[in-house]
Amino acid sequence: MTVQGIRTVTSARNGVGAFILQCKRLDFHYCDWAGSSRGMVSFLKHHLPSFAKANPQIEIRVSPRPHKHPVIKGHYVNGREKAICVRNLEPEQIFNKANLLKAASGEKLKRTKKPIASLNESVRGIWDPYHGGFKSV
Amino acid sequence: MKRLQPQRWSSSVLSPQVRAGCRLQRRIQHGLRYQTTTTPFPVTEAEAKQPIQDLVPPPKKRSSRSAISKHSLPSPPVKAARESAKLAALHARLYLPARLPLETLARTLVDESADPNPDFNNESLATLGHDLLTQYTSEYLICTYPRLPMTVIFAAMYAYVGPKTLSAMVKEWGVELAVAPGGEVDPGHLQFKRLDPGVNPNQPLKNPNRPYENEATWRRSISSKIVYDDVFGEPVRASVDPRQQVQSADRYAAGVTPEQACSQFVRAVLGAIYLHAGRPAAKRFFEQHFISRHLNISDLFNFREPARDLSRLCARENFEPPYAKILSETGRLSRHPVFVVGIFSGKDKLGEGSGSSLLEARSRAAVASLKGWYLYSPLNVRLPNSMEEEGAAPWKPVHVDLGEVIV
Repeated sequence: MTVQGIRTVTSARNGVGAFILQCKRLDFHYCDWAGSSRGMVSFLKHHLPSFAKANPQIEIRVSPRPHKHPVIKGHYVNGREKAICVRNLEPEQIFNKANLLKAASGEKLKRTKKPIASLNESVRGIWDPYHGGFKSV
Repeated sequence: MKRLQPQRWSSSVLSPQVRAGCRLQRRIQHGLRYQTTTTPFPVTEAEAKQPIQDLVPPPKKRSSRSAISKHSLPSPPVKAARESAKLAALHARLYLPARLPLETLARTLVDESADPNPDFNNESLATLGHDLLTQYTSEYLICTYPRLPMTVIFAAMYAYVGPKTLSAMVKEWGVELAVAPGGEVDPGHLQFKRLDPGVNPNQPLKNPNRPYENEATWRRSISSKIVYDDVFGEPVRASVDPRQQVQSADRYAAGVTPEQACSQFVRAVLGAIYLHAGRPAAKRFFEQHFISRHLNISDLFNFREPARDLSRLCARENFEPPYAKILSETGRLSRHPVFVVGIFSGKDKLGEGSGSSLLEARSRAAVASLKGWYLYSPLNVRLPNSMEEEGAAPWKPVHVDLGEVIV
């Protein structure tokens, strides 16, 4: 056998073909008694149906958590989860927090140093001293 | 589809002191607790009230109904698909066509090992999807890289549509695996019977159609792999006569691995799209989810003797015999010498490589020139499946090369 094939796995490039939203589930927890949930209850009553309709990719669960502050939890495709406490927030602020969780990738926040990350190797190649006519190296 | 009604919640559930004595109310509240998911589909008020009406009938009738349904079934009932928020979310997340109903998507999530009934598992859809996947992928590979050696085509097929890739895709789609199959499981989970611990999932398969199958030490040529083996060059399970299909129920009695179940699911999704939304939708799904993934084909080559292969290749193609020449070097007598060697055929430079010894540099140069030959890709490739469209231009035969050199 002259040449053998090496088995690998193709790597995903989310958004090159299809785009999969990384947030797969949002849990809304609220308390009906406590005052810190007032904004959350109002959000659940008036804003959540339209939010859910606008984001059909996300499974939404609403459940009470009595005597606790209201919380939004996002569950992501990579298995991680993010939770935001929304105590004493207005419905509009909670809407922004829900959008934040929806748009997050689920990864830990990290600083990006390079503007571009690519799987393809550089077209120009790596510089080396043996090409380009430099005779005296 | 049920939707939370905060008004009802606020009045009943969260003020237990008010209605502590009412057992029926508490039952309703208990039932409601797990049905508070919001779905993308518009829900009428009548539908939202459905669970309460279901729960209210006398206990005798309810217990008889629950005895028939759910827990006795091997997989979720068909009507449960409309009630699963997970399933609707998956449908939307994959941008599946609206013509593909949720019931079919639920069926693609039931593996043959979970429910042996072919009317309710994904086996038939997966068979269709597997054929489509392998056809589209092999057309793409052979037309885009007409000179690839057969072993590399097998490896590239494995990389694009092999079980490892498909199970990685299931993870990236956010599909959750059920711990055990059953009628009460949410239809949005992938359901299959897991392999018992201690069972080797990689038992070698034997194909009785293949001659000399029992000679384990004999070499299996590439040509025989093309004829007798599957698209990845692996032995296939012998095809089962449909009349003896009864035995297939206990074929999966031991269970399957998550990898097998995941790959069957992905294939079944493609098959379901093909059946419900038609060929263009299936092709679009294939392009968006499979071909768009990243694979560097030049990494799939593993040459044993590149210099010998290159001289055979030049002889086959009537090129002048190749020779190697030092292009530049440094530190020949030092600890870290570097040689840059080019391989020429006549006046044409075929390839170039650098290494810390002359032999290493020469073999790298030979590998570079072989890859330069094998990875040729014509411009404006047209795939044969484009002929299936209405009003397609007349077909012009594509160039497909002889393949690898035989040494």
